[in-house]
Amino acid sequence: MALEFDILLQVLFWGLYAGCIYILLATGLNLIFGVMKIVNFAHGELLMLGAYITATVFALSGLNPYAIILLTMLVLGLVGIVIERLCFRPILGTGKLNEIFLSLGLIYVFQNGVALIWGDERQVLNSPYQTVTVPVGAIQLPLDYIIIIVVTVLILAGLSLLLRKTSLGKAIRATSQNRKGAMIVGINVERMDMISFGIGSALAAAAGTLWVVSGQVFNPYIGSIPAIKAFSIVILGGLGSIPGAIVGGLLYGIAENGAAYFLGGIWKDSISFLILIIVLIFRPTGLFGESGE
Amino acid sequence: MRVEKKSLSWYLTAIALGIAVLLPLLAGMSYHILNVAIIMVIFILFSSAWNFLAYSGQASLGHAAFFGIGGYVSTLIARSAGLPPFATILAGGCVAAVIGLLLGLTCVRLKEWFLAMVTFGFAVIVQAVVASPLSATTGGWDGIISPRLLPADLPGYLLYEYYAILAITILSIVCIHLILRSRAGLAFAAIRENETEAQAAGINPVRWKLLAFTFSSFLTGIAGALMVHHISFISPEIFHAETSFWPVIYSIFGGLGTISGPVIGTVILTVLWDGLKELGLTYERFIVIGLLLIIVVIFLPRGLVSLPEVLRERFARKKG
Repeated sequence: MALEFDILLQVLFWGLYAGCIYILLATGLNLIFGVMKIVNFAHGELLMLGAYITATVFALSGLNPYAIILLTMLVLGLVGIVIERLCFRPILGTGKLNEIFLSLGLIYVFQNGVALIWGDERQVLNSPYQTVTVPVGAIQLPLDYIIIIVVTVLILAGLSLLLRKTSLGKAIRATSQNRKGAMIVGINVERMDMISFGIGSALAAAAGTLWVVSGQVFNPYIGSIPAIKAFSIVILGGLGSIPGAIVGGLLYGIAENGAAYFLGGIWKDSISFLILIIVLIFRPTGLFGESGE
Repeated sequence: MRVEKKSLSWYLTAIALGIAVLLPLLAGMSYHILNVAIIMVIFILFSSAWNFLAYSGQASLGHAAFFGIGGYVSTLIARSAGLPPFATILAGGCVAAVIGLLLGLTCVRLKEWFLAMVTFGFAVIVQAVVASPLSATTGGWDGIISPRLLPADLPGYLLYEYYAILAITILSIVCIHLILRSRAGLAFAAIRENETEAQAAGINPVRWKLLAFTFSSFLTGIAGALMVHHISFISPEIFHAETSFWPVIYSIFGGLGTISGPVIGTVILTVLWDGLKELGLTYERFIVIGLLLIIVVIFLPRGLVSLPEVLRERFARKKG
């Protein structure tokens, strides 16, 4: 019995850790969706690019990988702004299918651009703490996992402060609630589009950094599945609801790792889509969604 | 010397058919070209099937599921019952259609991203089911050998295969054309443009959406079976997301919601794709396709088929 409890704790902890990556992705998608009402399916490619930038800076400078996270977020924030200006702004309001198709194109460009620069072999980054573990109860938890959870909480707290306390954050929330109303009171909504896309991309970069520093294998194709899952978390939690994204992210992380442990690795990806399909059959607008589409 | 618009499209269709029929002769029966042409024709069928569903306003990102199901069902029946693959591809299409109907039932209330996510996830789930619990019959990740469409000892085998697949594809496109020209086509367009208004006009969206889903899955299943018998091998890799993305890319490139769009898109992109491969570009060709897709979505949202019209409008505006 004690053993089973330990296993459950372990699975729960893995889920928590995997959930952090999903939460960062889903929160970014949600922020962008809230303001622009669009979805970038190539969001995971930003995670992947973030992973490569962190790994490259780490290899060149030898800095503590966790210290690189801010730099990577800044770089990807700029990349996000460029994507928004060049790709998504021209198709704003031309129909939702166009976003899906445009994102497909972006996925191909990013994956193969990265493969062209860095090659497509699987790589691993060795964190300086990879051998350090912390005993929690009867199990040994890798220190990296604990740092990742703490970093995620810090980033989310920072985002929350930004959105609630600063005038920029208030403008973003206003645009998100009512675009026309925001325009009337003099908010430059296009600038808000740009900024929220940048912040969303920076969150994906943070997820990518945490992905590599935790010692997960990375190659140019790692981004798509997490992003699609993150988007299904967004749907599950209700479009535009950030608490929904956090609950959904944790749920997915735990369900996946539970499924992988108890049913076998092949079920890891399927279980999350199974949850999504079942939820959508009964609630086509998601768990916390209101009217939806 | 103004050619009637209708007769012009007839001429173009006739020319395209002529090229398709004469291609093996023009290509000098090169094994490589014939091989590429066969795969291209299969993808024309696949893209047309996907586009048929998109015509009713439903964009699937998981058509690999039906493509693979068609392939697996046809292969397994052909292997276990010893039937000729020519008969079993129909079974593949029918099973894909039934599963498509069931998925359509779950998706009938969903739109856009929701539908895209559910269909994408469905392909992931089907892959897991085929690779793991059904591995005793499907051979798991190792895959299984699939019998050739026609007895492989036939002299000039590929030539016959090409014409057989071409005939099936043309027949399917004619069916799609007839359906879209009938009341069903009007209903699809009405639902796509505005479901609520369509309902107000007395159209039952559920019925028509299910019809679109079922027939699209059927044709996709046939295309998948043809592909698998052509390459004579099938593994769960067939359910990969990329399989789902190609028909989407081809259809958008050519022109969404038109009969000729998927055909033109598939032909041009296949030629471009193989041309870039000849140049020894691997990643670059994906980048080229991705950039083209972005450019088409932004600047030519109705695809290449609308290019003459767009140019004419531009020209007329400049003149006027």
